[in-house]
Amino acid sequence: MTETSRSRTLRVLDWFDRRLPLTALWRTQLSEYPAPKNFNVWYLFGSLALLVLVLQLATGLFLAIHYQPNPQLAYWSVLRTIQRDSHWGWLIRDMHVVGASAFFVLVYLHMYRGIMYGSYKKPRELLWLIGIFIYLALAAEAFLGYLLPWGQMSYWGSAVVTNFVTAIPVIGKPIAQWLRGSFVIGLPTLNRFFIFHVFLMPVLLLALVLVHMIALHQVGSNNPDGVEIHDNVNETGWPRDGIPFHPYYTVKDLFGVSAFFVVFFWFVFYRPDGWGFLLDKLNYTPANILHTPSDIHPLWFFLPFYAMLRGVPDKLYGILAFAGSFALLACLPLLDRNPVRSIRYRSPLYKLNILAMPLSFLWLGYIAHGFATEHNMVYGLHVTEIFYATFLVLPFFNKPRSPRATLTWLILAEAVVWMIDVWMYSIHAHGWGLMLLTDWIPSLYLLLLFGMALLRPAWTRDAASLPERLTAGGIFH
Amino acid sequence: MKLSLTSVLQRWTRLGAMLLLTALAGSAWASVQTTQPPLRPITIDLHDQAALRTGALYTLHMCVACHGIQGARYSELPPVLGLSKEDFLKYISTNGRHYHDTITSNMSEALMMKFVDMAPPDLTEIAHRRSPAWLYTYLTSFYADPARPTGANNVVFYNVSMPDVFATMQGLQKPVMVDGLRFGSPAKIAVGVQPLTAGTMSRAQFDQTAKDIVTFLYAVAHPHQQERMRLGPWIIGLFVMLSVLTYLIYRLYWARVITGKQRWWRIR
Repeated sequence: MTETSRSRTLRVLDWFDRRLPLTALWRTQLSEYPAPKNFNVWYLFGSLALLVLVLQLATGLFLAIHYQPNPQLAYWSVLRTIQRDSHWGWLIRDMHVVGASAFFVLVYLHMYRGIMYGSYKKPRELLWLIGIFIYLALAAEAFLGYLLPWGQMSYWGSAVVTNFVTAIPVIGKPIAQWLRGSFVIGLPTLNRFFIFHVFLMPVLLLALVLVHMIALHQVGSNNPDGVEIHDNVNETGWPRDGIPFHPYYTVKDLFGVSAFFVVFFWFVFYRPDGWGFLLDKLNYTPANILHTPSDIHPLWFFLPFYAMLRGVPDKLYGILAFAGSFALLACLPLLDRNPVRSIRYRSPLYKLNILAMPLSFLWLGYIAHGFATEHNMVYGLHVTEIFYATFLVLPFFNKPRSPRATLTWLILAEAVVWMIDVWMYSIHAHGWGLMLLTDWIPSLYLLLLFGMALLRPAWTRDAASLPERLTAGGIFH
Repeated sequence: MKLSLTSVLQRWTRLGAMLLLTALAGSAWASVQTTQPPLRPITIDLHDQAALRTGALYTLHMCVACHGIQGARYSELPPVLGLSKEDFLKYISTNGRHYHDTITSNMSEALMMKFVDMAPPDLTEIAHRRSPAWLYTYLTSFYADPARPTGANNVVFYNVSMPDVFATMQGLQKPVMVDGLRFGSPAKIAVGVQPLTAGTMSRAQFDQTAKDIVTFLYAVAHPHQQERMRLGPWIIGLFVMLSVLTYLIYRLYWARVITGKQRWWRIR
C-alpha cells in the first residue's frame, strides 16, 4: 500500500467516523474492550448462540420464500417445494431444523455456565433477567415455528399449548379463541403463527439480544474465578487481568465456531431428524383434525417442562408448576445471595446441589419421553420437587448455619414435600400406594443434602480465602 | 466405631446410586406394554438399480392404485432408476399424468372412504416415518383373519384397514400366536406368519419382491441420501481442518497470555 492510498483509506474512514462512530465502536467494544484472561470452554456458548441466531435468520429467510401458510398447502410446501423442488432446499431446511435444537443446547449450556460461575450476582442481575426473557422469547419462537410444517405433532402440540390458557377461570376460553382466531387450530392460527414466527419474535429476539449485550458491556464479563477484574486496574485504568476482546477472544471464538460446525453439520448431513428427537417421526403425517395421536409430546427441549405439567394432574396447577420453574430461574439473584460467585470456591454440598439441578432436569426429560402413565406422572411430580428444591434450598447456603437451623431447614423442607403429597391425595390426583413407593426421591435428596450438612458442617463451608487475581486460564481449563 | 469421611461418602454414594438405578428402571418398565413382534432384517442398497426398477414397477403399477406418493414427481425417478426419460415412459405407466406431475393416487378419496373407510396414507410420508425393516415385515406379514371386514390382518399393524393385496402373489398366510400383552392387558399376539395356501410366487421370490418395493420406497422418500453421503465428509472435513487451523492460531495469539513449560495454561 502506498502512502497516498493509505491516506485515502484513512480519509474515507474519517469521513464515516464524523458521521457514524465506527472506529470508536470498534475500539470501545472490541479491540480495547477488556475481557478476563481466564475464559474456559464454557464461555464459547454465548457467541455460538449468537451465530446460530444469525444462521436461523438466514436459513429462515429462504424457507419463508417457499413456504405457504395455508393448511391446504403447508405440508407439501415443506416436504415437496422446499425439500425437493428448490435447489438446496433440503440442506437449508435441515440446517434450520438442526439449528433450532442447537440453539437450545447452546442456550441451556450458556445458562448453566451463568449458574455455575454466579454470573447472575451483583452487578449482573439485570443481565441475567434479560437472558431469561431471551430464553422465553426463544421458547415462544420455537413453539410458533413448530406448527408451520403442519404435521400431526405440529397440529396437536399447538392444540395442547393453546389450550393452556383455558385453565384461566371464566375468561380462559374466550382468550384461547382469540389467540387461535378460531375454535380449533386452523387457517387463522397458521397465518398468525407464521407471521409471529418470521416477523414478531425474530425482531423481539434481536432487540433483546442487543439489550443483553449492551448490559453485558456495561458491567463487564464475569469469569470462572468470579473475580471482578475491574477492581484491580493498573495506572492507565486497564484491568491487570484483562486482555482486549479482539484479537484474543475473536480467535478463540473462531475455533469454537469451527468445532461447533463439525458437530452441527454431522447432524445436518447424517441425522437431520436426530433419531426422531430433532424432528418427530409423527410429523411426517399431515395434520388431521379427526385423528388425535395416542401420544402427544413436545420436542426434546420442552420435555422437562412437560413432565412438570403432567406431574400435577390439574390443568391450572400443572401450568403453574412449569411456569414457576421459569420464575425460579428469574429469581435466582434473589435466592442465592452468597457473596462468593464461582462454584470453584463454594462448599461441597453447594456443588452437589448445583449438579442435581441439571440432572433432575434431564431426568424430567427422560420421564416425559415415556407414555403418560400413572407411574410416569408420579415420578414426574417427585422429580419436579427435586428440581424446585435445588433452587429453593439456595438461601440455605447464603451464610454458615447452626446445627439447629440446619435441622429446621431439613424438617421444613421434608414437611413441604409431604404436604404436597397429602394435597395430591386429597384432590384424588394420585393414590397413596404409588406415592409412598416413590416419595423417597425428593425426601432422600433433601435428607442427603441437609443430613450431610448436619453431620459434616465443614461441607457447607465455602473456601476460606478467595483469590485476588485470576488463577488460571485457557480453553480446556 | 469411628467412621472416616471417605467411608461415609462411599456408603452414601453406593446407596444413592442403587436407588437411582431402581428409579430409572422403574420408570422404564412402567410404560404401557404391548408385546412387539420381531422385525425382519433388510439392508437397503440404493446402488442396486435392478432392485429399484423392480420396486418401481410394482409400486407405480400396484400401490399407486390406492396410495399417492405425492412427495415425488415422475420426472425425479429416471435418474434414480438409471433410465432415460424415453425408457422410463415406455416401461412405466404414469396413468395419463404429465411427466413432471406428482405421483398421486389413481383412486378418488371418496371411493377409498367407501371401500376401506379411510384415505390410504401417502407413501412418501410412510416411508419417512417407518423404518425399512418395519415396512419389509409389514409387506410380508398379512394373515387371514375372518374377524376383519377385509378378511386380513397384519402382524406389525394390528387391525390394519388395508386388505391383503398380495394374496394372489404370496398366497394366504396364517398367524403364529403367542400369549402376550396388548396395552398392558393379556392377549393373543401374532408374532409371525406361516404359509396357508400357495401363490403365484415362491416364498423367496415374494420376499425379494417386497425387499425391492421397500428399497424403491426408501429411495423415493430420501431423494438426497446419496448427495448427503457424498457431501457430508467434505463439509465436515473442511470444518475439522478449520478447527485445527483456528486452534493453532489461537495458541499462537495466546502464547503471549498463557505460558509455562509444565503447565502451559498458567497465566503470566
